[in-house]
Parts: sequence; C-alpha cells; structure tokens
Amino acid sequence: MSDATVTVRSLSKVFHDEARGDVRAVDAVDFECRPGEIFGLLGANGAGKTTTLRMLATILQPTSGTATVMGHDVVSEPEAVRRNLGFYSSTTALYPRLTARETIEFFARINGIPAADVRARVEGLVARFGLGDYADARVDKLSQGMKQKVSIARTVAHDPPVLIFDEPTVGLDVLNALEMQKVIAEFRDAGRTIIFSTHIMSEAERLCSRIAIIHRGRIHACDTLEALREATGKHYLEDIFVHFVERAEEA
Amino acid sequence: MRRDVVTTLLGNELRMLVRDRRTIVLSVLLPLVVMPLMLFGSRWSEQRRERRLAETEMSYAVTGPHADAVRRVLAFGEARLASEGAAGRARMKLREVPPGDAAAMLEKGEIVFYLEATEAAFGEGATGPDAETRRPGERAERPVPGVPEVAIVFRGDRDESDEAFARARALLRAGRAEARSLLLVERGFPARGPDVAAVVTRDTATAGHVAGLTLGRTLTLLLLFFVLSGGSVVAIDALAGEKERGTLETLLVSAATRGEIVAAKHLAILAVALVVTVIQVGNFLLYIGFKLIPVSAGWAAAVSPPVAGLLLLLYLPVAALVSSVLLLVSGRARSYKEAQLAFFPVFLLGILPALAPLMPGVSLRSAVVAVPIANVAVAVKEVLTGTFDWPMIALAWAVTALAAAGVARLAERALSAERLVSAAERVEALGGPELFERRVARNFAMMWVALVIGGVWLGEDSDIRLQLLVNLGGIFLLGSLLMVRAYRLDPRQVFALRPVRPVVWLAVLAGAPAGMLSAVGVFRLANLVLPVPEKMMKAFGEALLPEGLPLWQVLVLLSIAPGIFEELAFRGTLLHGLRRRFSPPVLALVVGVVFGVFHVALFRIVPTAFLGIALAAVTLLTGSIFPAMVWHALNNLLGLLAGHYRWPLDELDLDFYAAAALVLAASFWVLWRTRRPYPGLRGTADRGQGTVDSSP
Repeated sequence: MSDATVTVRSLSKVFHDEARGDVRAVDAVDFECRPGEIFGLLGANGAGKTTTLRMLATILQPTSGTATVMGHDVVSEPEAVRRNLGFYSSTTALYPRLTARETIEFFARINGIPAADVRARVEGLVARFGLGDYADARVDKLSQGMKQKVSIARTVAHDPPVLIFDEPTVGLDVLNALEMQKVIAEFRDAGRTIIFSTHIMSEAERLCSRIAIIHRGRIHACDTLEALREATGKHYLEDIFVHFVERAEEA
Repeated sequence: MRRDVVTTLLGNELRMLVRDRRTIVLSVLLPLVVMPLMLFGSRWSEQRRERRLAETEMSYAVTGPHADAVRRVLAFGEARLASEGAAGRARMKLREVPPGDAAAMLEKGEIVFYLEATEAAFGEGATGPDAETRRPGERAERPVPGVPEVAIVFRGDRDESDEAFARARALLRAGRAEARSLLLVERGFPARGPDVAAVVTRDTATAGHVAGLTLGRTLTLLLLFFVLSGGSVVAIDALAGEKERGTLETLLVSAATRGEIVAAKHLAILAVALVVTVIQVGNFLLYIGFKLIPVSAGWAAAVSPPVAGLLLLLYLPVAALVSSVLLLVSGRARSYKEAQLAFFPVFLLGILPALAPLMPGVSLRSAVVAVPIANVAVAVKEVLTGTFDWPMIALAWAVTALAAAGVARLAERALSAERLVSAAERVEALGGPELFERRVARNFAMMWVALVIGGVWLGEDSDIRLQLLVNLGGIFLLGSLLMVRAYRLDPRQVFALRPVRPVVWLAVLAGAPAGMLSAVGVFRLANLVLPVPEKMMKAFGEALLPEGLPLWQVLVLLSIAPGIFEELAFRGTLLHGLRRRFSPPVLALVVGVVFGVFHVALFRIVPTAFLGIALAAVTLLTGSIFPAMVWHALNNLLGLLAGHYRWPLDELDLDFYAAAALVLAASFWVLWRTRRPYPGLRGTADRGQGTVDSSP
C-alpha cells in the first residue's frame, strides 16, 4: 500500500543458541502500518514481539526478509530509520545523572533537531508533559511516574513519524499505565504511526486499530478487533487469542 | 561522522562523569592523596629506621680462643672503612660484651650477633682470619685447609641482628683486605690500591643524557600506569556500565551512528586519561619541587621544551591505543563486573610492552619498531638520550597509531554485536554441558595458574613424588572430576572411555616409539634450515630422572601415572569441551599446544606440544582415550630408558629417523583405516547444535 509508513515482509530472525541449536525467534512475519493507527502485536512472553520490534529499530539484524520505516531499509539505512523512529520500552533506561531537561535536549540533538530549534522543542515537551517543576531535577531523584514522562519525552524528542512502544506498561501501577495509554492515543490522534506490543488483552482491546496475534515467532492472525471477532465467533480478545494459539499448536 | 553529534555525545559523557563522585574519587582524588601519603610514609619509616639504628648501641660478642685476632681484624676494618669514608651502616654503634653462653644470649636478644673463631683455624703468626657466614642465596667462601675461619652467628629474622650482621661482615672483609695489604707492605710490596694504580672516572655522556637514560627507561611505564588507571574507571562505565543500566539500548535506538558513539566514548576515555596523567605528572613535579622525590640535576637538561613537545606527540597514539583497548574490553563485557574482571589481565598485558626500554641494548632500529607501545617506549628512551632517528620515530608513531585505529574499529564492532543487547543473558543461565563447553578454556587457564603457583610453592628441589601428587592428582584429576560434577557431565563421554579394535594396539605399540624418533628427526632436519636450540633437541628424549628412587618407581611415577592422569585431563576433558569449537585438525593442534603450555619450562613446550598433537589425533581417530594413554606411557618410558641407559636418540643416522617416520605413517594409516571417529565433532553428522555465538 502506498500510504504505509512501516512495511515488514517475510522478516525472520534465527538465533544460534548453544543449548537448543538454531532458534527461530521470528519466522517470516508480514505486516504494514499506516499513519494514525495503533498496530498491536499481541503475544505471550517469548512469542517474538520484542525481537521483531528490535529489528525494526535496527538493534538486531534480520536473518532474512525486509523491513522499511518511512521507505528506509532497516539493514542498508539504519541511521535514516532511527531518525524517523521513536523507540520506547521498559528496558530503555534513562541516564540517572542527567536532569529531565538535559535528557530531552541530549536526545533532540543526537537525533538531528537543528541546534536553533532545540530549545523551543525541549521547552515544548517540558510543558506538554507537565515536567516544569522537575525539569532541572536529576532523573534518579524523580518518581516512577515522572521518569515515565521523561522517557516518553525522550522518545519523541525529535518528533518522529513512527513510534514503537514495546510493552510500555510493564512494571507501572494502574494510574501510570492508564496515563501511558492516554499519551499513546494522543500520538495516534496527532497522525503518528504507532506499533504497540503487549501481552495484556485489555490494553490491546482498548487501544489498537488492528491486532496481530503472534505465537512462536509467527503471526497467526492480523486484523481489526471486529474482524477477528467475526472470524472466530468469540467476543473477548482473550478468547480470540486462545483460539488462534490453540489452532497454531494443533497445526 | 557528524561533528556536532560527536560533540554532543562527548559533552554528555563528560557531564555525567563529573557528576559521578565515585569516578572522581577513584580516578583523581585518591591518587592525589595516596601518592603523597605513600611518599611521606616511606620517607618517614626509612628515616626512623636509620635514626633508630644510629641511636641504638648494639651488643655483640667474640668467642673462641683466638678472639683477640678477630678483634684485631675488626679494628683494621674500622680503620679502613673510616679511611674510605664509608657511610650508612658505619653510623651504627657496635659494642662488644663479654661472652657468656653466646648462643643463648643471641636467642634472648641480649646480643645481635657473635663471632666464633674456629679452634683449629688459626695458625702461628696469622694476622687475620678469613671470615664468612652464608646467607640464603649467597655463595659461601670455600674453607681452605690450614686457613682460619670465622663464623658470624646472627638471626636473619631480626631487623637489628640482620643489619648488624651486614656491618660485621663488611668490617671483617675490609679488615681482611687491610691485613693482607699490611703483610705485603711489611715485605716491601706496594699492596695498597693507590700504590698499584690510581683509578679515576671520566663519563663522556652529558648529565642530561645520563638522567635521560634513567628517565627514558621508566617514563612510558609510569605514564601507561596513569593512563590505564585513569581511563579504566571511565571505560568500564562507558559501555559495560551503560549496558547494565539499560541506557546503552536507549542510545543505540537514537539516530547517532555506532561510529559516532564509539568516537565520543573513546574521546571521553582519552580526555580523562590525559587529565589524570597531567594531574599526576603535576603532582610529581610538585613533589620534586618540595624535594620529596630526589632527582638528578640533569633532568631539566634531558627534558627541554622541544623534547617535552616531542614526547607529548609520541605519547598521543599510546594513550589512544590504551583507550581503544579499554573501550573494546568494556564493549565485549556483558556486565560491569565482567569488565572489572577483564581489566586486571589487560592491565598486566598493557604494561608489558612498556618494559622494552629496560632490555639492555634494545634499539628502535630493530623488530621492536613493529610492536605498538614498545616502539614508542624505546623511541622515548632514545630521544631522552639525545638520539633522534627520525624515520624510525615516525614509523613507531605510525605503527602505534594504526594499532589504536584498528582496536577502535574492533570496539565499534563490539558495539554492533547483538549479544550486547539481546542474546547475552541466555548462556549464563544454561548450566550443564553447554556451560561446560563455554567455560572449559577458562577452567584450564585456572588449572594452569594453579600448576604454576603449585610449582613455585613446592620449589624445584621438592620430592618428585609430591610434585606429581600435586600436579597429576590435585590439578589434572581433581580439576577434571570437579568439572564433570559441576556441569553434570557423563564421565564415559568426557573421558572417551570406549573399547577399541585389537589392531589399534599394534598401531600404538609401533607408533609411540616411532613418533618420538620421528619428532627428533624432524627437528634435526629443521635444524639445518633454522637453528633449533640444543636444549630443545635434548628435551625430546629427556625425562626427569630423579635420583634416589628405584627405576621401577620412576617408571610408574613418570610413565604410567602421566599416561593415565594427563590423558584424562587433556585428551579427555579438554578435547571433549572443545570438540564443537574447532574442526578436527585444528582441535588436535589446539589440544596439543595447550598440553605443551602446561609443561611450563620453555624448551619442553615444543616437544610436548608435538606429542600432545599426536595423542589428540590418536584419540580423535579411535574415539577412545585408552590408545592415547598407552601411547603416552610408552613415549615417556622410552624417554626414561634412553636417559637411564644414555641412548643417544638425537645423534642417530638419518636412516633411523626415516624408518621411524615410515612406521609412524603406517601406524596412523592403520588408525585411519580402522577409525571410529570421536563423537560430536564439529562438521560431523550430529552437529545439530549451534556452536558460534549469536553475533552477526
């Protein structure tokens, strides 16, 4: 499709594991995403969600297949891909010895925001996430909720068109998790392409425009929630998920 | 590479560094405080010791019927040392006390030593005794019949007694020389030194060059120490620390390239290392200014401003190379702790090339110019002694700079390695046989260290049976059994305890002696082209022949026991652990070389490696350890018998060696034809298991 901002074609990743031999963490995955939608990757722990997203973020090299972000290939143009991408996960930590403002400024600069625009961009984000009173406090002194906000501001410091949220609510309390969902929805409304991975059904139900069910490295279903309900005859996403996983196990 | 991005990254690194109290304290403040403390401490204790020795009057006794003769020699010695202006211990006050039971007095600490003139020693009319007592590691004077002997009896474990002993010995030696001179002078011979020839010295080197030589020998070592100590704390934090905190992944998903990230981190380490070096050099200059460190007046002449500038230029690639190495180690480490562990060997290896200027006669116009760091160290020594070999200096600079660039490139690759962010965590959790295969090399390295420490601890003169018990039982057997237990391995698989076809034994019986003779022959041939050290040739047929043991015991201890226990360790545990890592020929080579390295003595490494390769090949072809055990025992047996009966194995006609080579080839041909290959080798059908790490 011409308006796709992210395309993934037959993407595979094989790890050589000394205990288990070759492990196909991701096996011929296909999908594409468009602006203004939240594309959900739904799967259990170890299903291949994070590996897929790390390949999109150019941290891991695909074993085979292709993936592009804003038309840039993840293997041949990794820097261009990362300029167009914001990557947030529970494992991407912040520098504890920088202040909130310094963190946002640092990531704005190294992600290519022109020097003249950096200050305005940083102040805009500080205001947008309500960091004003804490902007000059060191990150290691901030509360979990404030750290989360700084982390999101860091992710979008260079205003990327594509945002990846890899299990962003892991380890958050209910209120912070809801805040995170709210922010993600706002980015969607602002026309960003969002890829959102989770193993929490309610989050996927509430947020995702389309959902891909991934199990043992393969995508077994990929459609809107309504279409998945129609295809399976089940109402709850949990039942739909179990339906596809069981079918995959039987195959 | 975008300069603004690198500048931003570097600024960020330095800002975080300055805010890290731990780094500042460890890298900057601690050395600043510790250095003067150490200097003050050592000067204070030295002065105190000298003062105490000077102030304390120490008592001694002279025993034996010829005590007066000894006293006369002591008096001669006093006079001679005083006339020569001998300082130092001369300030020590010695007082003779009447001897009661001198030995008991010494034990109680009432006297610091006593002199005992042997009863039968003195002849009529002797004017001086020959006095000596032996200290550990010192050559004793051999007593001459009819010549008097004086023993200095003291306690080497007591500071005062030890000091006083040295004084007494100096006095006796000086007194003896004086007495001898007097004897000759009395008989009309010009025997005093200046009467024979006056000795004067004239050094044509300038004071600057002499000081430059002293400085040049150690300057690189000192600076390297500063760069390593200053840079290592930052380097650990730069990659390994970031990985542990999870910030590395955050950085890797930004638009900064890997090259930009490595460049910024490299510059940060370099900057800190240089700042620490400048602070430490300033620190030293301050102490020199306060005369806490005594230096020769020639130092200023040796390091003129242009020379200082040249030294700075020469040291830049050294600092860059050290920073690159530190970054590489940090990048390869999976955690902060692992990086810390890796830095110790890096530290030791890093300062090794800086010792090059200490080698006598080493010049930049030699192979040393191709060795990074060592070449700069030698160049610095030459520059400080006034030799400016510009083409070689430029070459040395370029070689070290290129090495720095090469290692920096490796560090960049380490950053790209996927194991840094993804697969690293899995392996450690595996345990069992998989973990064994990853750890086997490390475990053998530890066994090697234990072997060396055990050797030093026991000493060369210890009972051969004890040495074998420690090495074969305590290290090889126990080490192997511990690995089997810790990694839950099947002993039959690990030790390759499998039966073989009968014909294999024929091949082994013929192959073992033929192999030994062939190896000697090969080295004799090689000797025609490249001289092989004679000791290495001898080492082929040489086995330790301990004295005082019956031959049968020697054979059991040095032939059968190594055949069993060394084989269990090397062709058993080691070969099993490495079997999937190398192709069979490389595996035999690696196992053989490791076996050689375990025979620590330099000239035994090559012959034993040769044997090790053959034994590994035999094990790989038969799939069993038993033929290698017999082969090994036969090989040692032949060596021992050759030593015992003095068979000249290295002096045979070439036909013998040719025949032996044919027999060896025939033996291996039989083993090949009847082979039952070792299971689970790399490249064989049951490969299945991935053997490489997950780096792309």
